[in-house]
This record gives sequence, structure tokens and C-alpha cells, in this order.
Amino acid sequence: MNLLLGSLTIGLILGVLALGVYISFRIFNFADITVDGSITLGAAVAAVLLLRGWPPVLATLAAALAGGVAGAVTGILHAKFRIHGLLSGILVMTALYSVNLRIMGRSNVPLLSVTTLAERAETLGLACSGGRAAVWVWGWEVPVRDLMFLAFSVAGVALIAGLLYLFLNTRLGTAMRATGDNPQMICAQGVDTGLMIILGLGLSNALVAFSGAVLAQYQGFADVQMGIGMVVWGLASVIMGESLVRARRPGFMIVGAIFGAVLFRLLVAIALRFGMNPNDLKLITALFVFAALVLPGVADRVFKRAGGRAHA
Amino acid sequence: MLDVRDLRKTFFPDTPNEVRALQGVSCQILEGSFVVVIGTNGSGKSTLLNAVAGTFPLDAGAITLAGQDVTGWSEHRRAALIGRVFQNPFSGTAPGMTIAENLAMAARRGHRPGLGWALPRRLRDAFADRVRSLRMGLEDRLDNEIGTLSGGQRQALTLLMATWRKPALLLLDEHTAALDPKSAEQVIALTHQLVTHDHLTTLMVTHAMSQAVNLGDSLIMMHRGRIIHALAGEDKRRVRAEDLLARFDEVRRMDQLDAGAASLLAANYM
Ligand SMILES: Nc1ncnc2c1ncn2[C@@H]1O[C@H](COP(=O)(O)OP(=O)(O)O)[C@@H](O)[C@H]1O
Ligand SMILES: [Mg+2]
Repeated sequence: MNLLLGSLTIGLILGVLALGVYISFRIFNFADITVDGSITLGAAVAAVLLLRGWPPVLATLAAALAGGVAGAVTGILHAKFRIHGLLSGILVMTALYSVNLRIMGRSNVPLLSVTTLAERAETLGLACSGGRAAVWVWGWEVPVRDLMFLAFSVAGVALIAGLLYLFLNTRLGTAMRATGDNPQMICAQGVDTGLMIILGLGLSNALVAFSGAVLAQYQGFADVQMGIGMVVWGLASVIMGESLVRARRPGFMIVGAIFGAVLFRLLVAIALRFGMNPNDLKLITALFVFAALVLPGVADRVFKRAGGRAHA
Repeated sequence: MLDVRDLRKTFFPDTPNEVRALQGVSCQILEGSFVVVIGTNGSGKSTLLNAVAGTFPLDAGAITLAGQDVTGWSEHRRAALIGRVFQNPFSGTAPGMTIAENLAMAARRGHRPGLGWALPRRLRDAFADRVRSLRMGLEDRLDNEIGTLSGGQRQALTLLMATWRKPALLLLDEHTAALDPKSAEQVIALTHQLVTHDHLTTLMVTHAMSQAVNLGDSLIMMHRGRIIHALAGEDKRRVRAEDLLARFDEVRRMDQLDAGAASLLAANYM
């Protein structure tokens, strides 16, 4: 039960990462590797600000802002300096490694001694449960802290998803979607596509950094290595979400990305529980994304060939 | 009014692939005038339209539109004054977005996109009315993705989009060339209707001689990056397809003469 609770919570936190990756990868068709750096950036900024005594909510929002700046820099490299999209992301990700070390001052910052969102959740939970540290759920004893954090995660992710949905239906959000869909068309409508890419990658990485900041507070530490492979993780979530909802409209994609992230995390937790070596995790994630990207095409081709034969 | 002066553009300069696409093109299009552009393949017709729209920086020349010198303006800034329909039906619309969303973006052409709602009720009703007048049955499909429509339907919508806000200049680049004859006819009828109704200043490239003689109040013929022939007023009204085809033959003969002379020179002096 605790394993399930933990997986659900982390899955939801990474659901926000998946929303960020949805924006760059699906809305802008931009494989943005900045993610690996900006999720750590979010964790680092939040950790350091918490250590300085900032309130958790403000520290988390500041972390999102920092991620937004990092994403905008990638956008500027690509849109203004005409650097290939993939390379722009690699440059910023690499630079962020040093930046993150600078911010944290060392490679790992523990957050056990400070008030984080987790502690806030615990305090609130204790107030609700009348001071008991654990409650019984369907015959399992569950720490109130974890239960409250999960509740917060559900509410927080739902709020972010709702706001993102509304945003994508504003004029600015519509112009961003059009920029990814057909830049020639939206340019002919007088929209600066470069600016849209800069703002869009900023928004995407703000979500990613937000996710990193919350993850650090949940885990109780920020680590300079925590971002490695996270962009692939986000891709896996988005792709899994697409196969769940099977529709490309923004509302479906948003819900899909979140459910994809949660489902993917659950599958990983189950695999680990049944003895998968944690060191193989990234390899398996990469293989999953590879298969998901290639298999639909293969299936189409096989299907078409079969269809062609049926006609002949 | 559009005033184009001595436009020059060379692609891949100083390389073996050098293309002198525009070699000093000048023309004036009066307000409300409808100019048809014809010319041989690769003569620079699309390049001229792209130069006016601001797709690439010019080597030389000046463009004045609606009283403003737009030569240094970016493409998206010029879009506030210009409506465009491209040859490729895939170019003018966002295929993954709905008809209504595409129209909504066109209804705000030239405005900075802000945080306002993209599709207010009142706008949707206006779209439904306008799309109904196309008689393509699209008014019930406003929430369908444009990617599901045919080329002719897309070009008709792109025309609506380009003219939703009255542009100071409408640029049409062989916008029926990729369509089947029936759709092409529909789109041309719509073009005629929109242009005459709003007195739009229009520059239309076409490869179809029937369109060239039936549409527009003046005509220019391009060859090798230059305007080699211009017709207006009574001359344009009277011109027949045979006259234009004869002109093309003449141009082709001159080219062959040139090529012959060049090889003669090469044989004698090299
Ligand atoms: N963006 C471009 N890059 C390189 N060459 C181009 C470009 N646009 C046009 N050209 C070249 O310029 C010449 C004129 O092209 P274009 O204006 O498209 O001719 P058309 O009159 O058939 O529309 C052609 O040789 C074409 O290959
Ligand atoms: Mg052309």
C-alpha cells in the first residue's frame, strides 16, 4: 500500500514534468533536452531557498520561474541565433549542470531540517486526523504525511492541468499551437513564431522545474544528478498517455500525459518490486520510448500491406 | 497602393548554383487594382510575391505599401497589411487545429496574441455564417480539424482567412494550381467575389491562361527575373489567350536565339 501511495504521488509529480514535455515535444515538435537540466534547476533553486527560510510555496514558484528562464534561453538560441533545436537544448542542459552545482554549492542538498511542502502537508494532515500519525485505509496502516501529500498532489496537478487547458485556448495558446502545427500559416497571420517558441519553451521548462522542486521536497533532497534521463521519462509518459486517450486535442493530451506519467511510474514500481535491477531503469525507459515511436509505423505498414493484398 | 522599386534578389550568390531570381523588378499597383502575374516556370513570380510578403531579405530595392516603407519590416509585421494564399493547400492553414480556431487566428491578423479567449461565442456565430456562404457544408464542421478537409475546401477557407480583415494587399500565388478543375473553378469564383466585393488590391500569379484573360484589370508577364510585358485598361480587357501564348512563344524563340548565339560565340572564340 505504501508502495502504491508513493508511486502515485511521484507519478503525479512527474505528471507535471510530462505536461512540460507535452508542450515542447507535441505542441512545438521540439525535442527539448533542456528538461534534464531544468528539473534539477527547479530542485536546486527550491532547496537553496528553503534552506534560507523561504516559505515552501514561494520557493517552489521561484524554482518554476528559474526553469522558465532556462527554457527561454533555449528558445532564444534556437529562434534568434538559428542553432539547431536539439543542440540548443544540449547547450543549455550542459550549462545548467554547472549552474546547478553553483546554486547548490555541492552535489547533494538534504532538506530534512527545513520546512518543505511535505511538512506543510503533514501539519495539515495531523490537524485533520486529530493528531494521529497514521490512519487505516482498506486494512493498511498509512502515514498521514504520505496520504496528505498525495491529496495535495492530486489537487495541485488538477489545478495546473486546468490552467494549462485554459491557457491553450487563449489567443496566445492558440498561436503557440499553430506555431508548432504550421509556422508558415501563423506567420502569415502576423505572429512572431520565434517569440512563440521562446515563450512556449519557457512555459514548458517552468512546469518541468516546478515538478523538480516538488520532487525534491517529497524525497527530502536535491541532487545534481537527478535530471539525467528525465526528458526520456517525460516522453515515455506523453506517449503512453497518447495511447490511452487516442485523441490529439489539447484537453485529451493533457489528461493523457498525466495518466501516462502515473501509469508509467506504477509499471516501473511493479517491475522494481519483482526484482528488476534499478540500474537498468534508464535502458528500459529508452527501449520503451523507442518501441513506442517505431511500432505504430510498423503496424501501419503491415496493415497497409495486408489491405493492399486484400484489394488485389 | 503597392509600390515596388528595382527589386533584386540572387539566391546562392557566387556559387555554381547562383540563381538571379529578381533582376530589377519595378511596378505600381493602384489601390483597388487587381493585377494578374503570368510567366515562364522559374521566372521569379513566386519570388516577387515572397519579396513583397517579406519571406527573405532583399539584395536591393524598396517596397512601399499603404503609404509605409515596409522594406525593413519582418514578415510577420507585414502580415498586418497583407493577406496570403499559397499554391500548396497545406501551407495556409494549421491542419491539427479546428476550422474555427484557424479562422479565429485570421480574425486577429496583425494583432499581438494576448490572454483573451480565442473563440468567443460571437465570433463563432460569425464564422458559421460566413462559412455557410461557401456552400461546402463546412458550417457544421467548425470543430473538425482542417487536416480532414480536401484541398479545395482548405483553399476556400484560406481565402476567407486572408480576407477576413480587409488586407491592404492580397497575394495569391497559383492558389488553384494544386486543385482538381472543379475545385479550382469554385475557388476562382470565390476569389472574384471577395476581391470585387471588398475592392481588394490584389496580386495574383496564375499559370492558367483562362484566368489570366478573364480576371483582373491589368497583367504583367515575367521572364528571367524581369517584367517583360505589361497590359492595363483597354489592352488588358481585349487581350485573348492566344495573344498571351504567342508572347510566350516569342520569348522562347528569343531564348533559343540567345542560346544559339552563345554557343556560336563559344565555338568561335574559345
Ligand atoms: N528560397 C529559395 N531558395 C533558393 N532558390 C530559390 C528560392 N525561391 C526561388 N528560388 C529560385 O528562383 C527562381 C525563381 O523561382 P520562382 O520565383 O519560384 O519561379 P516561378 O515564377 O515559377 O514562381 C527559380 O530558379 C527557383 O529555383
Ligand atoms: Mg511559383
